[in-house]
Amino acid sequence: MPEIAIRTQQLTRRFGNLTAVDAIDLQVTAGQFFGFLGPNGAGKSTTIKILTGLLAPTSGSMELLGVDFAANPVEVKRQIGVVPEGMGLFERLTGAEYLQFVGRMYGLDRATTQRRSEELLEFMQLADRPKTVVADYSHGMQKKLALAAAVIHGPRILFLDEPFEGVDALAAGALKALLARMTERGTTIFLTSHVLEIVERLCSHVAIIHKGKLVAQGSLEELRAGISGEENTKTTLEQIFLSIVGQDGTQRAQLEELSWLM
Amino acid sequence: MADVAQPVGILEQIRLVAGLRWRILRNSARKKSNRLDLIGLIVIGFFGSAVVIALSFAFYAAAHAFLFQGRANWMALLFWGIFLFWQAIPIIVAGFGANFEFRTLLRFPLNLRAFYIIGLAYGFADFPAISSLCWLLAMTAGAAVARPGVLPAMVLIVAAFALLNVTLERLIGSWLERLLARRRTRELFVGLFVLSMISLNFIGPLMSRYGAWARPLFQRLLPYFSWLPPSLAGRALAAIAQLQPTAFLMSFGFLLLYLVLFSALLWRRFAAQYRGEELSETAAPARAAIRPLAAKGDGPDRLNLLSPQVAAIVRKEFRYLTRNGFAYLTLLSPQLLIIIFSMNFAGKHPTVGGRGISPDMFFPGMMGYLILILMAPAYNSFAFESRGIQTYFTAPLRFRDVLLGKNLMLISVLSLDIMLSMAMLVWRVGLPSAHMLVATCAAIVFTVVGQLSIANWSSISFPRKMEFGQMRGQRQSGMAVLVAFATQILLGGISATILFTGKWTGSPWLPAEAFAFLAVLAVGGYNASLDPLTRLAERKKESLIEALCR
Repeated sequence: MPEIAIRTQQLTRRFGNLTAVDAIDLQVTAGQFFGFLGPNGAGKSTTIKILTGLLAPTSGSMELLGVDFAANPVEVKRQIGVVPEGMGLFERLTGAEYLQFVGRMYGLDRATTQRRSEELLEFMQLADRPKTVVADYSHGMQKKLALAAAVIHGPRILFLDEPFEGVDALAAGALKALLARMTERGTTIFLTSHVLEIVERLCSHVAIIHKGKLVAQGSLEELRAGISGEENTKTTLEQIFLSIVGQDGTQRAQLEELSWLM
Repeated sequence: MADVAQPVGILEQIRLVAGLRWRILRNSARKKSNRLDLIGLIVIGFFGSAVVIALSFAFYAAAHAFLFQGRANWMALLFWGIFLFWQAIPIIVAGFGANFEFRTLLRFPLNLRAFYIIGLAYGFADFPAISSLCWLLAMTAGAAVARPGVLPAMVLIVAAFALLNVTLERLIGSWLERLLARRRTRELFVGLFVLSMISLNFIGPLMSRYGAWARPLFQRLLPYFSWLPPSLAGRALAAIAQLQPTAFLMSFGFLLLYLVLFSALLWRRFAAQYRGEELSETAAPARAAIRPLAAKGDGPDRLNLLSPQVAAIVRKEFRYLTRNGFAYLTLLSPQLLIIIFSMNFAGKHPTVGGRGISPDMFFPGMMGYLILILMAPAYNSFAFESRGIQTYFTAPLRFRDVLLGKNLMLISVLSLDIMLSMAMLVWRVGLPSAHMLVATCAAIVFTVVGQLSIANWSSISFPRKMEFGQMRGQRQSGMAVLVAFATQILLGGISATILFTGKWTGSPWLPAEAFAFLAVLAVGGYNASLDPLTRLAERKKESLIEALCR
């Protein structure tokens, strides 16, 4: 039986009267490239924050790699890497210093941290600015550094919140290749993105969250079969997405009311 | 077809922006942490208002006395006071102003005239402007009661003077904004600014030493000052009081000329902003590719007594310290203060004349003062973490490691600074007696470690993001300031009481014993506080991340 990397049970998060994440039961098998989709404000970032320990759930439970997060958060965090919303960088360190800091925070010895930092900086094409502090990096460079920091300790699960936003096509290509190699070696990748084409190309499995509720979950083939009744390889992820959470009657009616814009 | 936006009147636009600022303040008060911050600000604002009101009475009384006693020429002094306050204080207390980016209005369909007028109108909404207006009104009232005939001229002069001040203040602000757009320039400027503020303390001792020599030089310069706006305002008023309309017209005319000149310069600056002047920094040009890291990391870890996580945080804190010009100055300031205070109150300097405070009093007093300064940043110790704070919650560590790392770095820096300061004190004032030296050292441990637990709690409970080398919008949370204030008063009071008890009871070693006991208690208390603070950080992590990731 395949190992379960992420399992949530009735995971809920409320902010006052708003239920941002509403009793979701998520299951991600180890080694999957998992896309987590939803419209703006659906609860994607909140879910990823809960799964990485940045937010506490109001109720429900979650297990990562079979370990209960609430009972043993430090053990779970040792196994995961995160590129959070906003990237979470220390802006007054240089790229190399930041990677060394993160490596040591994850308990790597100095020599290993040093070697991996060098390799990652080379791979991310950040090695030519050794004295530039992160605050002076461009957005794309910061994104690459955040990703480098997330993988420096060789995590078994990698959480990526909009990893390709602001990254140029060249770097994005290299990153995609890296991520694909990581999944081949058994790393589970949990990714949110608004670019459905990227998710469709990279992810083997997808879940869709809408208004805090998990409305679909499965492999791309299962989702295609779910909307057309039979497997149809021509159905794109965008069509699946729109058919599940897309324009409903209310939005169309509102669009008609905006006739003054036409 | 889309409608075309109709032009909106300037008054309506000012009203809209005022409404926007009010809503920003009101909405921010919806959050508990912001409400507590607001309470702190109200308390601070209450004291500020009391000072402004008291000074208003003073300005009223002075203006009344000058005109009543026929010394209208002296009114220039009052205008000078207001002028200096209005122009200098916005730079010093910029952080207390509402954090409102005026330039963001440019995306709306404002014409340049409206942009200029709104910019000017908002110059009147800052604390120094409001205070200065209160004092000008008080002066006007005082002058009018003493000599009712000067009221129309006084109203004209005060109106022109106020407009000139707000124009100049906005002009200096916009120049500074342009100058400080680059991060490195900003940091350099902050450093120079703090140094110049510290240097002001040398004026007293220097005047007492070189005053006699400098006085004639200053008197030769005085006539030139009379052609500057505050003197012109004073001279215009004096001319009216002495019934010399030609002299009034001349002085007032020059005042208006200044106003026109400053307005033209400000118009130029605002026009550049209006046209979309780009001040932001671009990414640094690429350097030639070189190997980024030396092999020095392969050597033994000098911090191997600490866990890797705590050592990593200590290193990170050290790097942050070395890149923060302001922190450097904070570390340097104790030594400068020792020189300043020893020149004024103690030691062997000629200005003290051998009648200074004894080393037994000066030594603990100075150490207390230094701890007051050096510990202040600890009450908002996550201020510069920014988005990096998230790493502390995603990495596999307990928050006590973060607190330990930060506190260890602070204690190391404090120890170094206190040792340097002690050496300076020995050089400037001399050694205190053995019992006072031991008592002071034990008191330092007690007050520093005692404060650390509370400062850690304050840092987690009332975080406020701050940017390196930036002055506008930089201020601590109001509650953090109150907590620091209350703690330092309490610990300072306890320490002073113990020191004086030793003196009164004639038991010179009693304070040393009492402080040693309290130091042990403080260390025990600190150790016991780490786990509860870790749990508190876990509970507060959402507000902590939210406050620092803005």
